[in-house]
Amino acid sequence: MKLLVVEDDRETGAYLKRALTEAGHAVDLASTGRDGLLLAAGEPYDVMVLDRMLPQIDGLAILRTIRASGVKTPVLLLTALGGIDDRVEGLEAGGDDYLVKPFAFAELLARVNALARRPPTQDVQTTLKVADLELNLLRRTVTRGGQRIELQPREFQLLEYLMRQAGRVVTRTMLLEAVWDFHFDPKTNIVETHISRLRSKVDRGHAHELIHTLRGAGYCLREPD
Amino acid sequence: MFRSAGLRLAALYAAGFVAAVIMLGAVTVLTTRTALGRQFDTRIRSESAALTQEYRTEGLQGVAEAVAERDRTAGALDYGLEGPGGRVIGGRLAGSGAASGWSTLKIRQPGRGREKIRMLVTPLGGGYRLLVGGDDESVEAVDAILAKRLLAAIAAVAVVGALAGFGLGRGMRRQVSAITGAAEAIIDGDLSRRVPVRGAGDDLDQLATTLNRMLDRIQALMDSLKQVSDDVAHDLRTPLTRLRTRLESQIGAPDGDSEAVLEAALADLDAILETFAALLRIAQIEGGARRAGFRPTDLTNVCRTVVEAFTPSAEDTGVTLILEGDEAVMVDGDSELLTQMVVNLVENGLRHAGPEATVRVRSRLTDRRPTLSVIDNGPGVPDGERERLFDRFYRLERSRSTPGNGLGLALVAAVARLHGAEVALRDAAPGLEARVTFTDAG
Repeated sequence: MKLLVVEDDRETGAYLKRALTEAGHAVDLASTGRDGLLLAAGEPYDVMVLDRMLPQIDGLAILRTIRASGVKTPVLLLTALGGIDDRVEGLEAGGDDYLVKPFAFAELLARVNALARRPPTQDVQTTLKVADLELNLLRRTVTRGGQRIELQPREFQLLEYLMRQAGRVVTRTMLLEAVWDFHFDPKTNIVETHISRLRSKVDRGHAHELIHTLRGAGYCLREPD
Repeated sequence: MFRSAGLRLAALYAAGFVAAVIMLGAVTVLTTRTALGRQFDTRIRSESAALTQEYRTEGLQGVAEAVAERDRTAGALDYGLEGPGGRVIGGRLAGSGAASGWSTLKIRQPGRGREKIRMLVTPLGGGYRLLVGGDDESVEAVDAILAKRLLAAIAAVAVVGALAGFGLGRGMRRQVSAITGAAEAIIDGDLSRRVPVRGAGDDLDQLATTLNRMLDRIQALMDSLKQVSDDVAHDLRTPLTRLRTRLESQIGAPDGDSEAVLEAALADLDAILETFAALLRIAQIEGGARRAGFRPTDLTNVCRTVVEAFTPSAEDTGVTLILEGDEAVMVDGDSELLTQMVVNLVENGLRHAGPEATVRVRSRLTDRRPTLSVIDNGPGVPDGERERLFDRFYRLERSRSTPGNGLGLALVAAVARLHGAEVALRDAAPGLEARVTFTDAG
């Protein structure tokens, strides 16, 4: 994937470029808002990572400008402002996701991948399918190997999110936001317990596990190798 | 000179008083004149009546004698008697040519110059006429006295008015300079200074009260800011020092165990960042800016989401988590913050109530006020320690070993305050009830 990173802190920028390149992406790095805007408006990217606070032109201004000129590239905003309202402001300006500094690189990578995955115009899907696991969005039913699995509403939502991101790493924070709409970090391991219950319903008694835990990163639902 | 509000007020007061006194004086003079004139007329009328009676009983000769007699008496009225065709019979007023009835004439009197005479001319029959009248000196005398007194009164009133105005102005100036003084002191850094309230209940006092409330708010904000920096300095220093030691010990150490140390350092750092984020969040909530985004929010719905999310975790630790309340309980608020508040309360319950406990989350109307309660049947909290739990970083002795940064209830208190709600911890006998009472939804 071709990525643009606009980040004024030299060390963070260089680190992001190196780590994202290692993860298999082609990365352009801009360290000022002006350069960022020129690149963002001129080059086609799959995902842009924008720091909100930049000298000269800030991240939100770049975002508004490129959105106004019709660039629909998914944008992940980075901010050092831990503010509760900043998220809303960023999303209203046309951002697709939001990450507060400091962050774990795994979190950034997972979110970048999730953004890239979004089809530009989403077809109305009625079934999601990974290996022999099928989820029917209209009838709200789940089957594995043709066998019906009974899920609680929240477990259904959790599975739906994992299946939409199939093959990608999904972090705990992403799940808290997407499934529970919790934009803070509870101390209790609610994600872990929900995943373990879901796993016991989906994977128990099957030869191949679909839901995987990646230590220090998150979860991943994928086809068996 | 009129730049001073006090002097301007004094002049204004004096002018107003003087105008009022002049008006009052004019009314007094007019009224007195009318009353005195009427009294004089009555005297003339009764003299005329008496002399007319004299004429009836004693005839023309009797009247003429009476007139002559009275004319000679000092201090009496003036008289006159005329025959047919205006022939003078006797008396000073005879021959003045006045018509019958009341009239006021200027007449030249021997030795007294021209005088204004008020007179009544009564026909006696047969062409004879009786004239009675006089110069009403009393009216003029009273006029003169009144004028003199009025002038004195005006002067006195002008002085009193000026003094009163000046005094009032000084009172006002004193209050204004008290406000100015308080403001100057605050500018110089004494945030605890307040504007004195005199207790008169007037608009200056209202202004002072409002200013003091504003200052209270500013001080609360400053205190909260100071609290944050103190907390950061105090409670982040310990873990930062630990982290530093950990990293320092790695310098020059063999490579073998560096992974474990780095992981521990990362965990330390995450805990520090979490504390930092929680402090910032509390400070931001206390700033009050979030209030602009308040929407009608169903408390029961918030509770349901939280209970649903935490039920599996609770079950895993053997705690029963129960939602009580199935009717919508509407409050005006921020659903994200309210969710976090319920989460913090529920997590406290789960963490401190012990295994096999029951935690109940209840939302309902109590006396028309939306109320949210999280009740556990755990060991509870001793009297006297309950209120302190809302302080940042305060932790019970027995909880020090459990994870947590001591900021959970501080955040609950901040969210409650933002929503104008009261939050209290009560003895649930056994256990603890955390209750948040919102104001009447109306």
